[in-house]
Amino acid sequence: MRSAFLIRSTFSLSLVAALAVPALGASPMDEIKQTTNKILSIVTNSAFKAPSKSEEREKRIRQAVDERFDWKEMARRSLAIHWAKRTTEERKEFVRLFADLVERTYMRKVEDYSGEKVLYEGESKEGDYATVRVKIVTKKGEDIPVEYRLKKEREDWFIYDVSIEGVSLVNNYRIQFHSIISQSNYENLVKRLREKVELK
Amino acid sequence: MEFGGGQGVAMKKFDLELAVGLFIIAGIVCLGYLSIKLGKLEIVGERGYEIYGVFSSVGGLKVGAGVEIAGVTVGRVKSIKLSNYEARVTLNLPTALKIQEDAIASIKTRGLIGEKYIDITPGGSEKAIEPGGRIRDTQPAIDIEELISKFVFGKI
Repeated sequence: MRSAFLIRSTFSLSLVAALAVPALGASPMDEIKQTTNKILSIVTNSAFKAPSKSEEREKRIRQAVDERFDWKEMARRSLAIHWAKRTTEERKEFVRLFADLVERTYMRKVEDYSGEKVLYEGESKEGDYATVRVKIVTKKGEDIPVEYRLKKEREDWFIYDVSIEGVSLVNNYRIQFHSIISQSNYENLVKRLREKVELK
Repeated sequence: MEFGGGQGVAMKKFDLELAVGLFIIAGIVCLGYLSIKLGKLEIVGERGYEIYGVFSSVGGLKVGAGVEIAGVTVGRVKSIKLSNYEARVTLNLPTALKIQEDAIASIKTRGLIGEKYIDITPGGSEKAIEPGGRIRDTQPAIDIEELISKFVFGKI
């Protein structure tokens, strides 16, 4: 009687474990593919082509992007040495402004998608960090190398930097933010970001 | 008297030769000092610590090139080796200088076609890279010819 109970409980435990394993197995490249395909399907979906649907489309694209981008990590890396002095409130506001800025800056380019091919070249992992190399082939035949840098957080991979043609997005903003803060102050940077984000 | 005179002349000659010898030694020492200073050699032994970064392309970066932060030269490139078909660059930095874990190292060019050097932008992490550790985030050298060819041949 006792052995039968033991067998049943071990069996159900292994069933639960087996169900949990697939969630742990997704590679960084798989995650990138998933998000990219999700965004492309929204952009190419004829149901959202009408101008009246543009807000809905934008919202869905942002949702897909927010699933994969670690905005807090990206904002912190971009603000770099100036992050430490910020209060919790300031940090929260900055992360939101940063996410808005990047999304608005690149939303137009995403919506301009017209059949470019996305080739997945490779990935490399080192502990909790990974890079995924992708190539975008434009209609003119240009190859644009893109590199995603990801960090594992609770068994899921999130993007913390994107390099296009070897130029890092985080480094680009890091240099600009530092320059603005050095020449004026943090409040001025926030003001400029707000203006940029509200303008669109 | 001749004897005394001869000894006098010999003394003068010895003095002269001694003076010339000392002068030559002083000249060699000065020359050596100048060479070392100009050649920027570290004779007193390597101070500071080393960290490394892996770049997909260093674009002709030379050993001994400068490492800059905010435009200030803070260290030197110690060695460049090919590792798994990528460039592994070891930097020598002063011990007091902490490089954050999320700092970004890029290969930059003096002017547009000048010599290459390493630029580091400090990050926001509280953790510093340990001696012998790795700068994870790097940017390769920008190949001007590649960009031009993409621009030229992109138009079909």
